[in-house]
Amino acid sequence: MFASVLPDRLPWYFAGPALGLLVVGFFLFTNQPLGATGAYIETARTVRRVPGAVVWRAFYFVGIALGGFIAVSLKDVGFDPRAGYDILTSADDIGLSLPVAAIVIFVGAVIMGYGARMAGGCTSGHGICGTAQRSAASWVVTMTFMATAVITTFFINLI
Amino acid sequence: MKNSIAFKLVGLLFGTGFGFVLAAANLHEYTTIHRMLSLEEFDVFFLMGSAIAVSLPLLWIFEKRRVKTALAGTLSLSRSKPQRHHIVGGALFGIGWAVSGTCPAPALVMLASGAGLAVVTIAGLFIGLGLRDAQTARGNTAGPTQGDGEHRTVVGASR
Repeated sequence: MFASVLPDRLPWYFAGPALGLLVVGFFLFTNQPLGATGAYIETARTVRRVPGAVVWRAFYFVGIALGGFIAVSLKDVGFDPRAGYDILTSADDIGLSLPVAAIVIFVGAVIMGYGARMAGGCTSGHGICGTAQRSAASWVVTMTFMATAVITTFFINLI
Repeated sequence: MKNSIAFKLVGLLFGTGFGFVLAAANLHEYTTIHRMLSLEEFDVFFLMGSAIAVSLPLLWIFEKRRVKTALAGTLSLSRSKPQRHHIVGGALFGIGWAVSGTCPAPALVMLASGAGLAVVTIAGLFIGLGLRDAQTARGNTAGPTQGDGEHRTVVGASR
């Protein structure tokens, strides 16, 4: 009934400024960056009942998934149960079998998590919130991960 | 804490808004990120750039005016000098991001859109973050990083 309220893809000139306002709004309420890595860390600590865990970050973590679900439900595609990662698994592209694709994705995600914790943030934390705070470290992290991601993708595309 | 319900509510609401924008702009699709990092399409770069262009000047003004945040005292932005762990962590993050095709927040949206392989990504992220924490706990590294993009301890902040 609510399908196709949203376009298939909201253009960047709406989504980008909207994201910027969310970052500012989040700071104005909580005095904290709207970073996803912190949400993973505190959600894990909350679930394991570590003393001092920031429980409200777990609410934020759940909210990200909830908001995503609402948005896709308002599109034509809707909630679509599938494997995902079409380029990796499609025979026209890289053509990995599902188990191999899962292993590749898993290894990538472990490296990504390790790196995010070491760098102290990810694409949202350093890439948007840190840069917007005019942190030199965040600008360096962002330039570094953009560069290695583009180089790595170049090699993936050679396969 | 007396305002802990307010924190949870704000966390949930802003998480929902964040996830909504990510899904609306299709950032949860492997194809979107892969085309961005292949430098075939620049929308996501523009999205991030415009988010920073909106939030950076606003935060600067609010910081200068010593604006009081709703729940956690006077707005205090955080700025660090780049160190080795920023560069190494950022480099690893970029490699993992390119391989797994999604960063921490869009991975949650990916799952919420119905893509089953996102479970593997999210699990890998938790393990990668935990590996780094285990390493710092053993004292082999310079202690946990609290970057400018991660959750940080602020005076007056609640759990």
